[in-house]
Amino acid sequence: MNGGKVTLGRTAGLYAGAAVLRLALFTLFPGLPDLLTGRVEISTPVTSFKRLQEGLFLYNHNVSPYDGGVYHQAPLLLPIFNLLPSFSTFPIFTYLLYIAVDILSADALLRIAESGEAGSSARFTSPRRDKRWSGAVVAALFLFNPFTIATCIGRSTTVFTTCAILHAVANAISGRHFHAMVALAFASYLSMYPLLLLPPLILLCYDRQKQPASGAPNAWIKFAVAMVMDVFGALAVLFQMSFFLTGSWEFLSSTYGVQLTLSDLAPNIGLWWYFFVEMFDSFRSFFLAVFWLHLSSYVGGLSVRLRQQPLVVITLLLGIFSIFKPYPSIADASLFLGMVPLYRHVFPLLRYSFVIAAIIIYATFLGPAFYHLWIYAGSGNANFFYAITLVWGLGLSLLVCDLAFAVLRDEWEVERPEMVGKEIRQI
Amino acid sequence: MRPSFPSLLLSLLSLLCFSPYAAIANASSAADSISTSISDSRSDYHEQLILRPLPLSALLASFNFRSNTSLSAFEAHNFRFFPRSLGQILQHAGTRELHLRFSLGRWDAESWGARPWNGAREGGTGVEMWAWLEAETDEEADHKWLTLTNALSGLFCASLNFIDSTRTTRPVMSFQPEGNHIDANATNMHLLYGVLPHEVVCTENLTPFLKLLPCKGKAGIASLLDGHKLFDSSWQTMAIDIRPVCPEDGECVLQIEQSIDMVLDVDRSKRPRDNPIPRPPPAHDMKCNTSKPYHAHDTCFPTDSAANQDWSLSQIFGRPIKGTCPLTDPTVSPVCIQVPDSRIVFASEGAIEKKNPGQTSRCFDFPAENDFEVFLPAPETQDGSVIVDQHLVKPETPLLYAERSFTGHGQERGGVQTILRNPSPDQEVEFIYMESLPWFMRIYLHTISARVDGQPGKADSLIQEVYYRPAVDRARGTQLEVRMTVPPASTVFLTYDFEKSILRYTEYPPDANRGFDVAAAVITILNKDKNGGNSRFAAYNLRTTTLLCNLPTPDFSMPYNVIIFTSTAIALAFGGMFNILVRRFVAANEGPKSGLKKGVDKLKAKLAALFKKKSSAAAVAMTAEKKTE
Amino acid sequence: MPRLLASALSLRRDPRLLKLPPYLSLLCIVVGVVWLFLLPLDDYSRRTYISENALLPGQVHTYFGGSDQNVFRAYKYETDELAGKGNIEVNNKLESIAKGLGLKVGRQNFTYSSAGNTHSGQNIYAILQAPRGDATEAIVLVAAWENVNGELNRSGVPLVLTLARYFKRWSLWSKDIIFLFTPDSIAGPQAWVDAYHDAHDSSLVASLPLKSGALQGAIALDYARETRFKSVHIVYDGVNGQLPNLDLINSVNHVAGGQMGMGVAIQEMWEHSNSYHDRLQTMLRGMLKQGLGLASGPHSSFIPYHVDAVTLQPFGDGWQDEMAIGRVIEGTFRSLNNLLEHLHQSFFFYLLMQKERFVSIGTYLPSAMLVAANFTIMAIALWVKSGQPEVREVITEKTETAEEAGKVALPNPHVTVERDLFLPLVLVAACQFAGVVPLYLFNHLSESALIPAFIFFTILSAILPFLLSSILHNSTTSTTTQQYHLIRSFSLLLLGMFLSSLATLNFSLAFLVGVFSAPLTFVRPCPNSPSNGCLWSFCLDEKVGYGLGEVLRQAAFAWDVTGTYTPVVVWCVWWPAWIVGVVSVLGRPDTRENKVKKA
Repeated sequence: MNGGKVTLGRTAGLYAGAAVLRLALFTLFPGLPDLLTGRVEISTPVTSFKRLQEGLFLYNHNVSPYDGGVYHQAPLLLPIFNLLPSFSTFPIFTYLLYIAVDILSADALLRIAESGEAGSSARFTSPRRDKRWSGAVVAALFLFNPFTIATCIGRSTTVFTTCAILHAVANAISGRHFHAMVALAFASYLSMYPLLLLPPLILLCYDRQKQPASGAPNAWIKFAVAMVMDVFGALAVLFQMSFFLTGSWEFLSSTYGVQLTLSDLAPNIGLWWYFFVEMFDSFRSFFLAVFWLHLSSYVGGLSVRLRQQPLVVITLLLGIFSIFKPYPSIADASLFLGMVPLYRHVFPLLRYSFVIAAIIIYATFLGPAFYHLWIYAGSGNANFFYAITLVWGLGLSLLVCDLAFAVLRDEWEVERPEMVGKEIRQI
Repeated sequence: MRPSFPSLLLSLLSLLCFSPYAAIANASSAADSISTSISDSRSDYHEQLILRPLPLSALLASFNFRSNTSLSAFEAHNFRFFPRSLGQILQHAGTRELHLRFSLGRWDAESWGARPWNGAREGGTGVEMWAWLEAETDEEADHKWLTLTNALSGLFCASLNFIDSTRTTRPVMSFQPEGNHIDANATNMHLLYGVLPHEVVCTENLTPFLKLLPCKGKAGIASLLDGHKLFDSSWQTMAIDIRPVCPEDGECVLQIEQSIDMVLDVDRSKRPRDNPIPRPPPAHDMKCNTSKPYHAHDTCFPTDSAANQDWSLSQIFGRPIKGTCPLTDPTVSPVCIQVPDSRIVFASEGAIEKKNPGQTSRCFDFPAENDFEVFLPAPETQDGSVIVDQHLVKPETPLLYAERSFTGHGQERGGVQTILRNPSPDQEVEFIYMESLPWFMRIYLHTISARVDGQPGKADSLIQEVYYRPAVDRARGTQLEVRMTVPPASTVFLTYDFEKSILRYTEYPPDANRGFDVAAAVITILNKDKNGGNSRFAAYNLRTTTLLCNLPTPDFSMPYNVIIFTSTAIALAFGGMFNILVRRFVAANEGPKSGLKKGVDKLKAKLAALFKKKSSAAAVAMTAEKKTE
Repeated sequence: MPRLLASALSLRRDPRLLKLPPYLSLLCIVVGVVWLFLLPLDDYSRRTYISENALLPGQVHTYFGGSDQNVFRAYKYETDELAGKGNIEVNNKLESIAKGLGLKVGRQNFTYSSAGNTHSGQNIYAILQAPRGDATEAIVLVAAWENVNGELNRSGVPLVLTLARYFKRWSLWSKDIIFLFTPDSIAGPQAWVDAYHDAHDSSLVASLPLKSGALQGAIALDYARETRFKSVHIVYDGVNGQLPNLDLINSVNHVAGGQMGMGVAIQEMWEHSNSYHDRLQTMLRGMLKQGLGLASGPHSSFIPYHVDAVTLQPFGDGWQDEMAIGRVIEGTFRSLNNLLEHLHQSFFFYLLMQKERFVSIGTYLPSAMLVAANFTIMAIALWVKSGQPEVREVITEKTETAEEAGKVALPNPHVTVERDLFLPLVLVAACQFAGVVPLYLFNHLSESALIPAFIFFTILSAILPFLLSSILHNSTTSTTTQQYHLIRSFSLLLLGMFLSSLATLNFSLAFLVGVFSAPLTFVRPCPNSPSNGCLWSFCLDEKVGYGLGEVLRQAAFAWDVTGTYTPVVVWCVWWPAWIVGVVSVLGRPDTRENKVKKA
């Protein structure tokens, strides 16, 4: 399995296979897309395709989609889907769009893997780097991950964010800063939280820029400022466009305000919804602040400690977001799990791989069962589903921690080669 | 303009000389002349009771009380027949027109036919009110609306004050002012509509209602109204309409019309108050179908319940009518019965029966001072069965049948399906279908569709116009108005999907698992005038039944546990992560020993030391002994 | 948390621990089974109680009787005349009677096809609108024209008609009452309930012409006998082993047993001396019914829609007459009428072992979970084992520990074993998906073809393991012991996972399947005796094949009409596990491979 040369034909075949599989699922089981769209594990209030359709309908009938409690997604999605032939008559075009987006993401992932950034970054080279999977394998693991497929069939709008993030990283690695920043701006515009990826992404760009930076300390500050300018410039443009599109700024509160205040408490696989269902009104705003603070608190720590490997920082952050976002779905998990195979070389250092796999699969099966008991059979109550979301969150966070551990130990063994394979502990 | 002094004096005098007069038995011509002169001068108040037997031994009784007061008198705080309490509220809240409904039960259109007053005097189950307020801005209107609802809730002992912003809508097409306003559609006229589907209407609402009447339910047809009977009826609605009316000649008057319509089940109402339990009747006085071959003393096939349609007022209402209200307009006869001319009706002596030929209704006038009683004997039946249409006024078929229900199951999502049937063979019906839904029903408008029964595919062309105001969480309810048509002799299914949202646990009522009531849909049928356009008045109104929407419920006993568990999960992740980030790696055998190991070692050392001491002490002792020897 | 796990998992390098798991999982199974047999004891089961205060069962006087008996007789004559007549004719008569009572009447046609033969008929139902109520809630009274055994519901139908006439006289109903008459006991109610919740396929099942509000509860009356009776039998098993709210059963029990003074029985225990043996028997019968997940009466179809329902069957020879059971129904309906909220208070997961003794989920779930857990334990053990080289045995203790210490997981070609996951994953996944084939086959073949197909399939699944193992053996890259470990590990992991998820949906089914596949935990490659492999595979198939044609037809019917998922569990959980198990029994792990590896 060790990485070999990727022939073009192999990748093309891979993509074709993925596309055919999805297309088959779309066409052979006509009930499936709507079924999956209805699942809370896949569609959240901010990514649901049904809500997107509703917003589109209102938008086409000159009712502001943001003057209501249903549509919480970015305005630019409306014209994009408006350009497609109407979903009710020609659904195939929507399907093709989603398939294309998935394959674009996979392609970006493939480029990341091929670059070998994971094994050897500009400032750090892992002794194990040559034990890695080829880009095609990584892309395949992403494309044929059941979570990714389910997300694609469920037509959650998270796929656009996923695609944008992956392209941001890929461009950063190949040294196209501006493209990277614009991609990140898109991701943030679509679902806000990717903005937290800015620091590690800047580091990545800085490390991978074509001509090595001059030694002057202010050089990298200049660089960072430039990057930040790029992102916010792009964001400003996007907001302007949205403003011209909807004719008012109310989309801001309705799109990002909902994520900030969690006014829509629809169940999902995250930890927020039940917490704020049961929260006392007087403490609601306080805990909202705490949760957001917690979410953003990882950025600094990781960026500093793992300065040598910015890509790792990005991966770990994506994992953390997929657990602690306000409205997470399995789409976010699939993005994280798609990035993990890049670290094939540290897999031997993972301590709980089997446990983690078992936990995640258990949660995957028990979640729908308990949700059914709560909502349809009526014989269980909300705690059933809540318990499973806890387990799921713990499983993923365990994976994140273990990956961090493995990477750090890998770094450490560079300076102490004799320690390879010895018992170690942390003090 | 102010009312002329003499008339005012007259009215006062009339009141003075009337109230004692009503009590004493014998008439005096003088007073009579006065009263007539007054009522002739301006028909200020009249009341009427219309009784209509319906199939399946049901009886529709609709009471109607109407009184006028001139706008000028009203503005001068000069109330005569107009209830002062209400008048002051109206003036305070700047209300130009008010409609208030208290309803219970459902109208069975299949067997009872068209609704009384063409449905104009009824509301959905619970309490429903709409009003035209005079205000410059929407905010002011909302403020006045709040004042109005709070004041009325005090007046009628109903929780109208719960009509907040989430339960208030501003209909665009469904309602038209009934009164004639000088500036009918001026910008400063605001229509607000609120409904409380869960409100249970009962006696405490009837008493204040009667208090508004000039005779306070002591005399006249209002004396029949009694909570036990009224709220035992299969369907009843109390309505109050206040509107300014400007006749071509003469000045504008403010008209208050109070009406009570009720459908009584004759069998149930005839049951004596002291023994309401429907025990099985003794076998010998059961109505059996003797034609059955197996009929025997212990075997009885009961004849259908269209039997025993004989009743009298005091049987049904528990008392006769106590005279007429002295203030009423004598030209309007207080009691009318709508039965075919063929049928015999007995009235108590002294009553004059006015049969207007051709029509199927007859009215009764009776002297003010003595009780009035009507007895309707059972139609003579051949072989036990009754041909309904010979003995009852055939109920006219309504313009439209509507039935609304939920589709789907589970507490995640659902759909609303309204079945609209147009009975008329030749002409289509055009109407406005209005829903005002609570915000936690997130409806998906793009799923709204109409389909004609028996025809494949959608027939969205039937939907002509949609006015939609989406809900905003915790701030505003959904308002949906659809103008659509139903082709003749066909049934149309109007459906749309919605999603049930989970609420904060403080937002659930105590009986969370009962579900939330969804207000009735209001259907306003527009009547076409010659030139095709729609005139402003509705031809016919009807309301569907309310619905019960089950939301997903959290565990109400869990807040602390949930807070603790979630926080723990987050702490674990956070702690684990930063633990790994901040600590240094060392080999297992290097660096400072971990706490536990350290402790163990210390303990070992101590023990060792202890043993050493002991042994040394022993040694010392031994040497000492040696010395002593 | 990682640190906790670290300390826990550091143990895994202890060689003794690796010998433990088989005994551990055996212990799990034994404890699980023993646990189950302890349940009937007084210390583990509880007396039932009413937890929904609004119900107040047996608190009202019931007046049904007197001259209503004459009416009942009349209706009974009418019913007798209709015996043997066609469905439509029957419905016409019922409609005329119901219309005469002043009820709203609707009809519904339905057609189901399963195993080649079609089940079609017409439901008729009458709605008594609550006199003062609004159409928000409703309760249902069902009388199937034929009960599950195909007997004519000779007294049930007229009794329900009489009750309809009696209920019409009351003005206190707060909920609509729906009287439902179905031609048969399973398909009819299923079609009606599906259509009521618009979950029906409108090409097979017609939509309902008129509806009422949300269903709050349903009582079905199965009263085929003509003579007087002694006690009433409560049938409460729903489709897929879902049960009605315990409060409903308790209230019927209160009204019948307490108020009317008639005996109450459950699970066909006609005589129940409250002894351990009888309790155990009742519980096991209940578990068997629940495990099969078939519909046991007209009420069964209601329960999946969260409508609590039971069927009442009078039985035994005594002095109770029709009016008595009528009063039981009246009393129960008065209780349901009191309900303010949908039944949610009491238990939905319970095992009844006597009419008023039960165990709740908290007490009995561990037994199934333990059985499921043993597979997971074994899976983990195998995974760990697969990570270790075969040389372990030959090395002496001292060096071994050093090896262990060295061999956490790092790329040292001499000691570590890179797990080769590809083949095991593919094999296990393939077996799992292969389960779809029999599932489809047995649910879409016609009745005549079922038995041959089954025999053919039995033989096939007996041969399949041999084929697979020979392929595994003779393939170019021969299969190593490690891969066999992994194969078993994965299949056991999946099995344990499915079972523990299933235990929350249908406890009994999970438990039964778990016990049946317990041997899988202990299979290990023993190539020299391929015979026992086929023995296994035969005995497993005989378990399914027992009773054959009827069972298969039943299963297909249940799958097509009531949506029972037991076949899925059998074919997609149990069958693949056995195939993989047998494969690994027949497995001939190639040690030469490892030698090469080690060299």
